[in-house]
Amino acid sequence: MAAIIEVEKLTKSYGSKRGIADVSFSVEEGEVFGFLGPNGAGKTTTIRLLMALLHADSGAARIAGFDCWKQSLEIKRLIGYIPGEPALDPNLTGGQILEYFAHLRGGVDQAYLKQLVERFELDISRKFRQYSTGNKRKVVLIQAFMHRPRLLILDEPTSGLDPLNQQEFDHMVKEASDEGRTVFLSSHVLSEVEKTCTRVGIVRDGSIVRIGDVAEVKAIKRYEITIHFANPVPAETFKTLEGVADVETLDHGHAVRLAMQGSADAVIKAAANYPVVSLTSYEPSLEDIFLRYYESDTAPTKEAQGVA
Amino acid sequence: MLRSIYLKTLRDYRVAILGWGIGMGLVVISPMASVSALVTTPQARQQLVSLAASFAWNADAIKVDTIGGYATFKIGFFVFLIAIWPLLVGSRMLRGEEDRGSMDVLLSLPRPRLNVAFEKLAAMWTALFAMGVLIGLLAFAGGKKFGADFGLGDGLLYGLNLALICAVFGCLALLISQFTQERGPAAGSTAGLLVFFIVLDMVHRVVPNSEWISRLSPIYYYNLSKPLIPSYGTNAGAMIFQLALAAMLGGAAIWLFVRRDVGGTVPLPRWLRLPERQASRVLPVGDWSLGSVYARSMGMIAMPTVWWTLGIAAFAGFMVYAVQLLETKMSALLSGSPAFSTLIKNLGGGDASVNAGLLSAMFFFLPLGLMAFAVTQVNGWSADEQDGRLELVLTTPRSRMAVLLGRFAALATATIVISVVTLLASAAAAAAAGLKIDEGHLAAAVLGAIPLGLLIASIGYLASGWLRTAADTGLLSFVLAAWFFISFIGPELKLPDATLRLSAFYYYGTPLLNGLQPASVLGVLAVAAAVLALGTMRFARKDIGV
Repeated sequence: MAAIIEVEKLTKSYGSKRGIADVSFSVEEGEVFGFLGPNGAGKTTTIRLLMALLHADSGAARIAGFDCWKQSLEIKRLIGYIPGEPALDPNLTGGQILEYFAHLRGGVDQAYLKQLVERFELDISRKFRQYSTGNKRKVVLIQAFMHRPRLLILDEPTSGLDPLNQQEFDHMVKEASDEGRTVFLSSHVLSEVEKTCTRVGIVRDGSIVRIGDVAEVKAIKRYEITIHFANPVPAETFKTLEGVADVETLDHGHAVRLAMQGSADAVIKAAANYPVVSLTSYEPSLEDIFLRYYESDTAPTKEAQGVA
Repeated sequence: MLRSIYLKTLRDYRVAILGWGIGMGLVVISPMASVSALVTTPQARQQLVSLAASFAWNADAIKVDTIGGYATFKIGFFVFLIAIWPLLVGSRMLRGEEDRGSMDVLLSLPRPRLNVAFEKLAAMWTALFAMGVLIGLLAFAGGKKFGADFGLGDGLLYGLNLALICAVFGCLALLISQFTQERGPAAGSTAGLLVFFIVLDMVHRVVPNSEWISRLSPIYYYNLSKPLIPSYGTNAGAMIFQLALAAMLGGAAIWLFVRRDVGGTVPLPRWLRLPERQASRVLPVGDWSLGSVYARSMGMIAMPTVWWTLGIAAFAGFMVYAVQLLETKMSALLSGSPAFSTLIKNLGGGDASVNAGLLSAMFFFLPLGLMAFAVTQVNGWSADEQDGRLELVLTTPRSRMAVLLGRFAALATATIVISVVTLLASAAAAAAAGLKIDEGHLAAAVLGAIPLGLLIASIGYLASGWLRTAADTGLLSFVLAAWFFISFIGPELKLPDATLRLSAFYYYGTPLLNGLQPASVLGVLAVAAAVLALGTMRFARKDIGV
């Protein structure tokens, strides 16, 4: 499948302050791509460069073959966008805002727009300033989806939404994906990305530190096994086994907690030599993996470097 | 400066204290410069007194042949101007913080709500008194320079009196903002009340035995003190009354604030409430103002345009009507005072002994009003960009150029509407007063101001490519003031022609006397177009929201 977003060595700084440096990645048409990173990592800068709100210092960014800066008008016809901090005319009602943007986009399917309003149960007769944070977010979400764009660029889209509406949003992303549309979604809520995305890019300090499938990222995870024994067992039994990264003794030697990477076959066979009371395995979420990338200011951990 | 809410708020006001204090101080000084030139002969002195008496409906004409008296008389006209800052500050002091959501954070601190409001109010009072001191010092310095008979204490009392009336309207705006959901209506209502109270104060100068009506206006008590006229002096009771009134209004506002919901309003009686709004999911499909950036911009600018049109058209209409009534007295004054005649000639550009000459001088204020309107609208554009409200618009398939030009076109349309209505009002006033005036020249005088409005707007759009809202507005205000002073005082100071040509007013010329100067009009329009083109290029290339 062809790439709809292509970013090569994109660099942007704000005077002496860092923005992003040499960011490169591509997103294929039809995929749901998660762009992960903590606050200030450079996610919004990257997105605003794609949207031609910022001018890059160097590097290139293309969407559907169009240069993001020089051919931004062509690109904007293809895109639905949600900014990280949406600001709209506070004196317009939600309905007026949606109609205004519908006109600016050259018209939208009114029936579909009404359907979206119903779907989010939004009272569109209130002024934007009178909306709660969640309702403001709903207005912005609807304006991004209402013209059925080929590409959705969403910067922290569910911030402020309640779980029910987050679920509705997940459905809308799924539907967009099923229709072959592309979604580029930035977030620091990893469970959201884990749930909705097929591929993720992790950005730290203005640089991409890893790109991979969600499944692939999870495959390089460390996981934990905790084994409780009827009698104390020496920790040395497990330390040298294949796949064991670390061993911790618990409960006065009656249990061990093993940090694992790779196959658990050797551990299971070794444990079978002792009377086992219980065995539990804990699979880390993407959150855990993500946190490990940011747990120090040093370079990414060994396994991340190996896969990236 | 960030150790308390009081100091933080005062810090926010530091630019305004200096800018407004010095600016208003200069406004007080400016009439002082012309007094000695106006009273060169006893006859001229007598005529000046007589002329001032004709304007007594506006301000008390007391000792107008002295520097302090003339300045007090002239500044009587500017009370509205001076009260604008406190009015805006009072309306946004608490309501503005609630609008932005920052009040929630502020009130989450372990500090009583009463203290938060009180510290903010105290900061406004401090700022007003600091401005009063600056104005007083400048008035004293100006008086000393031109040989006035008032001292430093009188100057400071003058500043204090101004600060007190400003505090009254600042606190009134604060009180009204407790009843409004947004700060705009609070500021608008207070401005309306300010105009109402100014008119109420005028009543007793026009209608005999009606002083009791004027006593209902705070402006009346402000006018009871005239410290720059030593023989008239200061009315301590009136000043104490203003202080008490301001304290009462501010106290009532704080009392209501600590008792109401943050983000909500003081509940009004049922009969005053608007009908309950029903929730709706019906889209406003036919709304004319949502069809394009231009239409939306027109929607945004419509209400301010109505108010500015009323103000400017009424002013122009009044000038046309008044000039006929003043003709006799003006002729006598002009024959006795060559200096005044020269001043009128500098502004009006012709023989001031005829109605058209005087009217031409008075019409000098017309482009100034139109340009001030343009500055306020440029401020809106700059604020929209700064607050991120342009971001989503710029991610629709509309070029940056189209967005900027759409907004500019709405401003240009509004400027034209104001001018056309002003022309109609002036023509109607001329007909009502029986004033014979060249209709073509009148049209040239009114419509000739349009290019100047567009010029200052295009400069503002260009500057907003680099400057933030406050700096942009400050720059435009400075440019406007500089142009005004170059054209108003420049000829008297014998400034070289090259300097006079730096003012846009120079190119406005004297259309009421000499008709439209096509070369000047086209020149101003060409410069405006070039500056706008540069502004558009800058906007098309700049980083948004940085």
